[in-house]
Amino acid sequence: MIDQMFERENYTLAKKLMDVSHVRHQAIAGNLANVETPGYKRKDIQADFATQLAKLAGQDDMKGIASLKPTLRTDFASPAVRADGNNVQMDKELLEMNKNATQYEFLANYTANSMKRIKTAITGRVM
Amino acid sequence: MNLMPGIDTTASALQAEKTRLDIIGQNIANANTTRGVDGKPYARQMVSFESKMIELGKSSDGSMQYGQGVAIKDIQADKTDGPLVFNPGHPDADEKGMVRMPNVNVTHEMVDMIAASRSYEANLQVVRTAKQMASQAMRIGR
Repeated sequence: MIDQMFERENYTLAKKLMDVSHVRHQAIAGNLANVETPGYKRKDIQADFATQLAKLAGQDDMKGIASLKPTLRTDFASPAVRADGNNVQMDKELLEMNKNATQYEFLANYTANSMKRIKTAITGRVM
Repeated sequence: MNLMPGIDTTASALQAEKTRLDIIGQNIANANTTRGVDGKPYARQMVSFESKMIELGKSSDGSMQYGQGVAIKDIQADKTDGPLVFNPGHPDADEKGMVRMPNVNVTHEMVDMIAASRSYEANLQVVRTAKQMASQAMRIGR
Protein backbone atom coordinates (compact mmCIF):
# COMPACT_ATOMS: atom_id res chain seq x y z
CA MET A 1 0.00 0.00 0.00
CA ILE A 2 2.78 2.37 0.89
CA ASP A 3 4.37 1.73 -2.52
CA GLN A 4 1.18 2.69 -4.29
CA MET A 5 1.11 5.90 -2.36
CA PHE A 6 4.47 6.91 -3.78
CA GLU A 7 3.83 5.63 -7.29
CA ARG A 8 1.06 8.11 -7.90
CA GLU A 9 1.21 10.30 -11.02
CA ASN A 10 2.29 13.41 -9.19
CA TYR A 11 5.40 11.78 -7.70
CA THR A 12 6.37 10.02 -10.93
CA LEU A 13 6.07 13.25 -12.87
CA ALA A 14 7.79 15.40 -10.24
CA LYS A 15 10.66 12.92 -10.03
CA LYS A 16 11.09 12.82 -13.80
CA LEU A 17 10.96 16.61 -14.12
CA MET A 18 13.51 17.02 -11.31
CA ASP A 19 15.80 14.56 -13.13
CA VAL A 20 15.42 16.61 -16.29
CA SER A 21 16.25 19.83 -14.42
CA HIS A 22 19.33 18.15 -12.95
CA VAL A 23 20.59 17.02 -16.38
CA ARG A 24 19.73 20.42 -17.86
CA HIS A 25 21.77 22.19 -15.20
CA GLN A 26 24.72 19.95 -16.08
CA ALA A 27 24.32 20.92 -19.73
CA ILE A 28 24.15 24.64 -18.90
CA ALA A 29 27.20 24.30 -16.64
CA GLY A 30 29.09 22.78 -19.59
CA ASN A 31 27.88 25.52 -21.94
CA LEU A 32 28.94 28.32 -19.59
CA ALA A 33 32.26 26.59 -18.93
CA ASN A 34 32.92 26.57 -22.69
CA VAL A 35 31.76 30.13 -23.36
CA GLU A 36 35.19 30.99 -24.81
CA THR A 37 36.23 27.61 -26.25
CA PRO A 38 36.79 27.96 -30.01
CA GLY A 39 34.27 26.02 -32.09
CA TYR A 40 32.22 24.73 -29.13
CA LYS A 41 28.53 24.04 -29.81
CA ARG A 42 26.02 24.30 -26.98
CA LYS A 43 24.33 21.20 -25.52
CA ASP A 44 20.74 20.91 -24.36
CA ILE A 45 18.00 18.35 -23.65
CA GLN A 46 16.62 16.90 -26.90
CA ALA A 47 14.06 19.28 -28.40
CA ASP A 48 11.14 16.83 -28.53
CA PHE A 49 11.40 15.81 -24.85
CA ALA A 50 8.59 18.16 -23.74
CA THR A 51 6.19 16.94 -26.45
CA GLN A 52 6.97 13.28 -25.67
CA LEU A 53 6.35 13.88 -21.97
CA ALA A 54 3.11 15.77 -22.63
CA LYS A 55 1.90 12.95 -24.89
CA LEU A 56 2.65 10.24 -22.29
CA ALA A 57 1.08 12.32 -19.50
CA GLY A 58 -2.02 12.77 -21.63
CA GLN A 59 -2.28 8.99 -21.99
CA ASP A 60 -1.66 8.47 -18.23
CA ASP A 61 1.24 6.20 -19.21
CA MET A 62 3.26 6.33 -15.97
CA LYS A 63 5.54 3.44 -17.00
CA GLY A 64 6.35 5.30 -20.21
CA ILE A 65 7.13 8.46 -18.26
CA ALA A 66 9.35 6.59 -15.81
CA SER A 67 11.37 5.06 -18.67
CA LEU A 68 11.65 8.33 -20.61
CA LYS A 69 15.27 9.41 -20.47
CA PRO A 70 16.50 12.96 -20.91
CA THR A 71 19.51 12.91 -23.24
CA LEU A 72 21.77 15.75 -24.26
CA ARG A 73 22.02 16.81 -27.86
CA THR A 74 24.42 19.18 -29.52
CA ASP A 75 22.66 22.31 -30.73
CA PHE A 76 23.90 23.10 -34.24
CA ALA A 77 20.85 25.25 -35.06
CA SER A 78 21.63 28.27 -32.86
CA PRO A 79 23.60 30.88 -34.76
CA ALA A 80 27.29 31.28 -33.95
CA VAL A 81 28.06 34.33 -31.83
CA ARG A 82 31.81 34.19 -32.31
CA ALA A 83 33.88 34.05 -35.47
CA ASP A 84 35.22 30.59 -34.47
CA GLY A 85 31.73 29.02 -34.57
CA ASN A 86 31.03 28.97 -30.82
CA ASN A 87 27.27 29.44 -30.32
CA VAL A 88 27.00 29.93 -26.53
CA GLN A 89 25.26 33.18 -25.57
CA MET A 90 26.19 33.88 -21.97
CA ASP A 91 23.07 35.93 -21.11
CA LYS A 92 20.72 33.36 -22.64
CA GLU A 93 22.40 30.52 -20.72
CA LEU A 94 22.23 32.42 -17.42
CA LEU A 95 18.55 33.13 -18.01
CA GLU A 96 17.85 29.48 -18.82
CA MET A 97 19.81 28.44 -15.74
CA ASN A 98 17.68 30.63 -13.46
CA LYS A 99 14.51 29.40 -15.13
CA ASN A 100 15.62 25.81 -14.67
CA ALA A 101 16.56 26.36 -11.02
CA THR A 102 13.18 27.95 -10.30
CA GLN A 103 11.47 24.96 -11.87
CA TYR A 104 13.55 22.65 -9.69
CA GLU A 105 12.68 24.70 -6.59
CA PHE A 106 8.99 24.50 -7.43
CA LEU A 107 9.14 20.71 -7.85
CA ALA A 108 11.14 20.22 -4.65
CA ASN A 109 8.65 22.34 -2.70
CA TYR A 110 5.74 20.58 -4.33
CA THR A 111 7.08 17.13 -3.38
CA ALA A 112 7.92 18.26 0.17
CA ASN A 113 4.46 19.77 0.70
CA SER A 114 2.77 16.73 -0.78
CA MET A 115 4.58 14.47 1.69
CA LYS A 116 3.73 16.82 4.52
CA ARG A 117 0.05 16.46 3.66
CA ILE A 118 0.34 12.65 3.81
CA LYS A 119 2.00 12.94 7.22
CA THR A 120 -0.82 15.21 8.36
CA ALA A 121 -3.38 12.65 7.17
CA ILE A 122 -1.58 9.84 9.03
CA THR A 123 -0.99 11.64 12.31
CA GLY A 124 -3.94 14.00 12.31
CA ARG A 125 -1.61 16.78 13.39
CA VAL A 126 -0.57 19.68 11.22
CA MET A 127 3.21 19.41 10.78
CA MET B 1 24.61 10.68 -9.53
CA ASN B 2 26.28 13.87 -8.52
CA LEU B 3 24.44 15.79 -5.82
CA MET B 4 25.39 19.15 -7.23
CA PRO B 5 24.80 19.09 -10.99
CA GLY B 6 27.67 20.25 -13.18
CA ILE B 7 30.04 21.10 -10.36
CA ASP B 8 33.07 19.30 -11.87
CA THR B 9 32.52 20.93 -15.26
CA THR B 10 32.36 24.35 -13.62
CA ALA B 11 35.44 23.66 -11.51
CA SER B 12 37.48 23.00 -14.66
CA ALA B 13 36.21 26.26 -16.17
CA LEU B 14 37.09 28.25 -13.04
CA GLN B 15 40.58 26.75 -13.11
CA ALA B 16 41.00 27.59 -16.82
CA GLU B 17 39.77 31.18 -16.41
CA LYS B 18 42.09 31.65 -13.45
CA THR B 19 45.08 30.52 -15.52
CA ARG B 20 43.99 32.95 -18.23
CA LEU B 21 43.89 35.79 -15.67
CA ASP B 22 47.37 34.76 -14.46
CA ILE B 23 48.72 35.03 -18.00
CA ILE B 24 47.02 38.40 -18.57
CA GLY B 25 48.59 39.62 -15.32
CA GLN B 26 51.98 38.40 -16.54
CA ASN B 27 51.52 40.24 -19.86
CA ILE B 28 50.61 43.52 -18.15
CA ALA B 29 53.47 43.16 -15.68
CA ASN B 30 55.90 42.74 -18.58
CA ALA B 31 54.45 45.47 -20.79
CA ASN B 32 57.77 47.35 -20.66
CA THR B 33 60.23 44.47 -20.35
CA THR B 34 62.71 45.03 -23.16
CA ARG B 35 64.95 42.13 -22.15
CA GLY B 36 63.27 38.88 -21.25
CA VAL B 37 64.90 35.62 -20.12
CA ASP B 38 66.05 34.93 -23.70
CA GLY B 39 67.55 38.42 -24.10
CA LYS B 40 64.77 39.52 -26.48
CA PRO B 41 61.86 41.82 -25.65
CA TYR B 42 59.04 40.06 -23.79
CA ALA B 43 56.53 38.36 -26.13
CA ARG B 44 52.85 38.48 -25.26
CA GLN B 45 51.53 35.06 -24.13
CA MET B 46 48.17 33.84 -25.39
CA VAL B 47 45.99 31.16 -23.77
CA SER B 48 43.79 28.90 -25.87
CA PHE B 49 40.99 26.77 -24.47
CA GLU B 50 39.72 23.38 -25.52
CA SER B 51 36.81 21.18 -24.40
CA LYS B 52 37.58 18.14 -22.28
CA MET B 53 35.33 15.24 -21.34
CA ILE B 54 34.79 14.90 -17.62
CA GLU B 55 33.21 11.89 -15.90
CA LEU B 56 30.30 13.13 -13.80
CA GLY B 57 29.49 9.79 -12.18
CA LYS B 58 26.89 7.15 -12.90
CA SER B 59 23.27 8.04 -13.51
CA SER B 60 20.33 6.16 -11.99
CA ASP B 61 20.32 3.55 -14.80
CA GLY B 62 24.02 2.79 -14.36
CA SER B 63 25.33 4.51 -17.47
CA MET B 64 28.27 6.85 -17.10
CA GLN B 65 27.50 10.51 -17.58
CA TYR B 66 29.96 12.90 -19.15
CA GLY B 67 30.19 16.65 -19.08
CA GLN B 68 32.16 18.97 -21.28
CA GLY B 69 34.70 20.77 -19.16
CA VAL B 70 37.41 23.15 -20.25
CA ALA B 71 41.16 22.78 -20.26
CA ILE B 72 44.02 25.01 -21.32
CA LYS B 73 45.14 23.65 -24.69
CA ASP B 74 48.40 25.57 -24.76
CA ILE B 75 49.98 28.89 -23.97
CA GLN B 76 51.63 30.37 -27.05
CA ALA B 77 53.79 33.42 -27.57
CA ASP B 78 52.60 36.16 -29.92
CA LYS B 79 55.38 36.24 -32.59
CA THR B 80 54.66 39.71 -33.95
CA ASP B 81 57.25 42.45 -33.38
CA GLY B 82 56.55 45.17 -30.88
CA PRO B 83 56.86 48.86 -31.72
CA LEU B 84 60.24 50.53 -32.20
CA VAL B 85 60.66 53.52 -29.95
CA PHE B 86 63.37 56.17 -30.21
CA ASN B 87 65.10 56.28 -26.84
CA PRO B 88 68.89 56.62 -27.24
CA GLY B 89 69.59 56.63 -23.52
CA HIS B 90 68.04 53.19 -23.03
CA PRO B 91 70.50 50.35 -22.25
CA ASP B 92 68.81 48.13 -24.87
CA ALA B 93 68.86 50.74 -27.64
CA ASP B 94 70.54 49.79 -30.94
CA GLU B 95 73.19 51.95 -32.73
CA LYS B 96 70.41 54.19 -34.18
CA GLY B 97 68.95 54.75 -30.70
CA MET B 98 65.82 52.66 -31.34
CA VAL B 99 64.44 50.29 -28.70
CA ARG B 100 62.24 47.29 -29.58
CA MET B 101 59.37 47.30 -27.08
CA PRO B 102 57.31 44.20 -26.12
CA ASN B 103 54.23 43.51 -28.28
CA VAL B 104 51.91 43.82 -25.29
CA ASN B 105 48.97 46.14 -25.85
CA VAL B 106 47.79 47.09 -22.36
CA THR B 107 44.34 48.19 -23.57
CA HIS B 108 43.87 44.84 -25.28
CA GLU B 109 44.95 43.02 -22.11
CA MET B 110 42.52 45.04 -19.97
CA VAL B 111 39.59 44.15 -22.25
CA ASP B 112 40.66 40.50 -22.14
CA MET B 113 40.86 40.70 -18.35
CA ILE B 114 37.28 41.99 -18.10
CA ALA B 115 36.09 39.17 -20.38
CA ALA B 116 37.92 36.58 -18.27
CA SER B 117 36.55 37.89 -14.98
CA ARG B 118 32.99 37.99 -16.39
CA SER B 119 33.27 34.34 -17.50
CA TYR B 120 34.60 33.51 -14.04
CA GLU B 121 31.58 35.23 -12.46
CA ALA B 122 29.14 33.37 -14.73
CA ASN B 123 30.67 30.06 -13.68
CA LEU B 124 30.49 31.02 -10.01
CA GLN B 125 26.80 31.74 -10.52
CA VAL B 126 26.39 28.18 -11.85
CA VAL B 127 27.93 26.82 -8.63
CA ARG B 128 25.64 28.98 -6.50
CA THR B 129 22.58 27.74 -8.37
CA ALA B 130 23.73 24.10 -8.13
CA LYS B 131 24.19 24.51 -4.37
CA GLN B 132 20.72 26.02 -4.07
CA MET B 133 19.23 23.11 -6.04
CA ALA B 134 20.98 20.55 -3.83
CA SER B 135 19.75 22.18 -0.62
CA GLN B 136 16.20 22.25 -1.97
CA ALA B 137 16.38 18.55 -2.74
CA MET B 138 17.54 17.98 0.85
CA ARG B 139 14.45 19.70 2.18
CA ILE B 140 12.09 17.10 0.65
CA GLY B 141 10.50 15.08 3.41
CA ARG B 142 11.60 17.37 6.18
